[in-house]
Amino acid sequence: MTRDNSSTSKTANTLSFIADRFPLEKMNLEHMLAHKEVPVHKMSWGYYTGGMTMFFFMIQIITGLFLLFYYQPTVSDANLSVEYITKYVSVGGLIRNMHAWSASGMILFAVVHLITAFAMKSFEKPRELTWIMGVLLLIITFTFGFTGYLLPWNQIAVNATKVGLQSVEDIGQYLPGMLHEVPRILRETFQGEASVGQSTLGRFYALHVVLLPLALAGLLGIHLLQVQVHGMSQGVDEKPKKQERFFPVFLFKDLTLWGFLFFILFTLSLCIPFESFLPFPLLAPYDAMGATPPGIKPEWYFFFVYYPLELLPFWVILLASGLIGAVLILTPWIFKGSSRKTLTFIATAVSLYLLIMTLFGEQIYHLLKH
Amino acid sequence: MPALDNFFLIALPYLAVVICLVGSYYRIKTRPMTYSALSSQFLESKGLMWGSLPWHIGIITIIAAHFIAFLVPGLWQALLSNQTVLLFVEAAGLGLSLLCLFGLAALLLRRFTSEKVQSVTSQMDLVVLLVLLLQVALGAHIAVSLSWGALWSVGTTVPYLWSLLSFTPDLSMVQDLPLAVKAHIVLAWVLILLVPFSRLIHMFAVPLEYIGRPWQNVVWVSDRRKEAAPQAFVEGEARRYFVKGGLAAVFGLSLLSVGVFDKIFRFFFGPRLTAHQETELMTTRLSRLEATSSQRKLELERQENDYILVGSLAELNSERGKYFIDYTMMPALAFKTAEGLPLLISAKCTHLGCTVGADAVDGKILCPCHISYFSIDTGMPNADSPAKTPLPHLGWVLMDTRGNQLVSYSGKGAVKGTLSEAQRASARVYIAKAHQIG
Amino acid sequence: MNISFSRTSQKLIAVTPVLIWLFAMPQTQAYPQFQEFSEKNSGRNVNCAMCHLNGDGPTGDGKGQIGGLTKEELDSLMRARSALAPGTQVDSPILNKFGNEIIKDIGKRKLLELRQNPQDLAKALPAQSDLDQDGISDGQEYMDGTDPLNPEHGDPLKLLLANLNKYRLHVILTFIAVMTLNWGIMQFLKGLEILTRPRQLPKA
Repeated sequence: MTRDNSSTSKTANTLSFIADRFPLEKMNLEHMLAHKEVPVHKMSWGYYTGGMTMFFFMIQIITGLFLLFYYQPTVSDANLSVEYITKYVSVGGLIRNMHAWSASGMILFAVVHLITAFAMKSFEKPRELTWIMGVLLLIITFTFGFTGYLLPWNQIAVNATKVGLQSVEDIGQYLPGMLHEVPRILRETFQGEASVGQSTLGRFYALHVVLLPLALAGLLGIHLLQVQVHGMSQGVDEKPKKQERFFPVFLFKDLTLWGFLFFILFTLSLCIPFESFLPFPLLAPYDAMGATPPGIKPEWYFFFVYYPLELLPFWVILLASGLIGAVLILTPWIFKGSSRKTLTFIATAVSLYLLIMTLFGEQIYHLLKH
Repeated sequence: MPALDNFFLIALPYLAVVICLVGSYYRIKTRPMTYSALSSQFLESKGLMWGSLPWHIGIITIIAAHFIAFLVPGLWQALLSNQTVLLFVEAAGLGLSLLCLFGLAALLLRRFTSEKVQSVTSQMDLVVLLVLLLQVALGAHIAVSLSWGALWSVGTTVPYLWSLLSFTPDLSMVQDLPLAVKAHIVLAWVLILLVPFSRLIHMFAVPLEYIGRPWQNVVWVSDRRKEAAPQAFVEGEARRYFVKGGLAAVFGLSLLSVGVFDKIFRFFFGPRLTAHQETELMTTRLSRLEATSSQRKLELERQENDYILVGSLAELNSERGKYFIDYTMMPALAFKTAEGLPLLISAKCTHLGCTVGADAVDGKILCPCHISYFSIDTGMPNADSPAKTPLPHLGWVLMDTRGNQLVSYSGKGAVKGTLSEAQRASARVYIAKAHQIG
Repeated sequence: MNISFSRTSQKLIAVTPVLIWLFAMPQTQAYPQFQEFSEKNSGRNVNCAMCHLNGDGPTGDGKGQIGGLTKEELDSLMRARSALAPGTQVDSPILNKFGNEIIKDIGKRKLLELRQNPQDLAKALPAQSDLDQDGISDGQEYMDGTDPLNPEHGDPLKLLLANLNKYRLHVILTFIAVMTLNWGIMQFLKGLEILTRPRQLPKA
């Protein structure tokens, strides 16, 4: 009797949970466009970070489609086709640089979006799902970066991918029992053969141009739907005095911001080739028979985990990242009762860490290592 | 026909300009109320919109382009030297002249069909309309049959106009032009001549402030329409912003697309390489394919053979290792020990799988990725290296040139067999499938 | 006894010491002093591919390495090596365009002297020479440890300034276009604002 009761109440709970997150009565254009309002206060800039991330994603799709016309995903031709794009194809270099710069922009703003959303406590009921979707979107974005890094098939691409995949396998030795073999199997699945080679390139290519975009678009759809249905979170403790309408005011402001972003992106891509930050021996086509050239490192957005990985024992990093991952997913429930002051403090500390590790990670590493 | 030319191309222009200036001045001063377009909007507005709007958009742009070419021929020519721009200008010119023709036709039709409008139509209105129609038709004809007029006019009509302006008339540049062009020029002077006598005079009252000012709404003073009045004002005010915004958007977008369009088109069209570039590209592509195929051959070789040649014993030394690929397709290094025997060690770093460097300094080789030093004798990494496990030694077999096995080492344990000095010179180092573990 | 050599053997005898010198001291041929200086000065990793065809340097039997040269290529290598004074157009099969340009500009003798002061190589090169035309001179790219033959590679800040200057018009026009669009959007916004503002109708 009691069991029955609890199970029915559980089902009812689940149903009402879903109904609260996807309120059908609010899922119409009228509600999502005309009635939605955006609070105006000192943290309002945080509301724009998500749109900026999406802008860079749209640029990624467009430039990516352009690059697809010339890129060839085979070990013998990949590097040459990329060189062909930059050297011969009209505005090929510009488009490729835009793709690279905009990838960095997308990741940067996705992280900023996450941190501001955390500080503004935008994960409160009924926005838990929005938050979780966001975390998944961030993971997909990082995977985009990792898979895209391999495609030019130059020294740094292949060697950094080798290091990355090997790190995945190394997780295995810290896992108990049945899980012990899982990372190795995962790595072999993604790698496809004994060493990083044609199969790896093919798999990464498929992930990068088909699977990940589809997954990202799907999740983004739910994320945006949730944002529109529930409206912007309040963001600050005291009730904001002013509101502005989402349509047209906020949306049009967003558009002008995108205009500025486009100009900055265009100028950067036109003037600074993304690869000029790397030493040139790393840009030579990958040579399976030769030694690994010095200076292999991942893209800047992995520095925050890469340099600690170099400095600390592997299990510390593993434990820390496992913990952080769990905390990120469970944030809506862990920080349910936290005040915005506490959240802002944590967010500031995390941003400081990310900033220092990304900008000075290399110096810290050399300081401590040598 | 020099006399005719002289009259139409020298006398007429001066006459027309003088009459136009004096006449217009006189008319504006003495009869200011007629200094207008004599709008008939209240009489009939639908036909007017279809006629007047396209006509004015088209003709103002076209005349502006004529004026730019006349005022700054150098800049104009420099702009048009880009083929894309020239194509664009020519196409736009033709399109706009067709727009003008359409507008004129609509206006003419309206003059003929609307009873109300006919009652205010003078003979002069019809004359002006017909001359304009003829003039635009001539222009369109020239644009089609004598293309690139935007460019050749810089060397013909522009110097002619400047010679008139500087009172040193010079027909040498225009007298051999086709009749259609000459007629186009003459009609232009005729139109200027007609300005003070017709509604054309309204061009001196160009209502520039119309663009930005609020819409003028004619509000009827009747009860029925009273409620709608404030609404109409609001709409008018909003529309003013829409017009500004629309113009800005059109300008911004066209600026962007002018810059982008030809480049994007050429992106998809694909590059056209010179023969030299093509050869270079082919050579590189072929060499990359060969590298891949040699890699595949190595794989096949390892699949099929029990022994794989590393190199001759004589070429090995203790300072610089020789790279080779082992049975698992992983890189490995071959050195020579102090006893003169081969030393084969895996070159795949046990930390994260980078390929270890070939130079042995003090018997140690370096993985550049995360700075791990490995002793080649034991394979052990330095204590402070990120790598913790040793690089494994590989088994090997020494054979003479006829394939007789001399000495072998399985990777662990002791070396089997001995090597005489005579055999040393010709001995070759092999790796064996039998030594492969797993 | 009359010993006479044929012309070919005479040639061979004359060439032999050179060939021996050539293969006996392979390490001295790569001039790693310049590479070391470039790396130290810039903090970037540099390899032999800055001046040589092969990133691992001229020794070995791979592409662009002495061991893998054909007879004609060996001949042009010898010619390049004998270009002691500046001004000779050389086409050494082990050097890339930049390497050949160095030999042409300063000559082999001067280059050998400069091994003691590798920091002076940039000054010795003509200041306006920019083989990849990216706006950074070859000498400067040597100091920066960047690829002098790749227009897409250079010190990021210097590339930014050079390209901003080069693409001035594009950047300005894009800026104007974006600003006009943004202004237009704001005008639209004002218009919509007026239209959708809640209105109080005058009471009849």
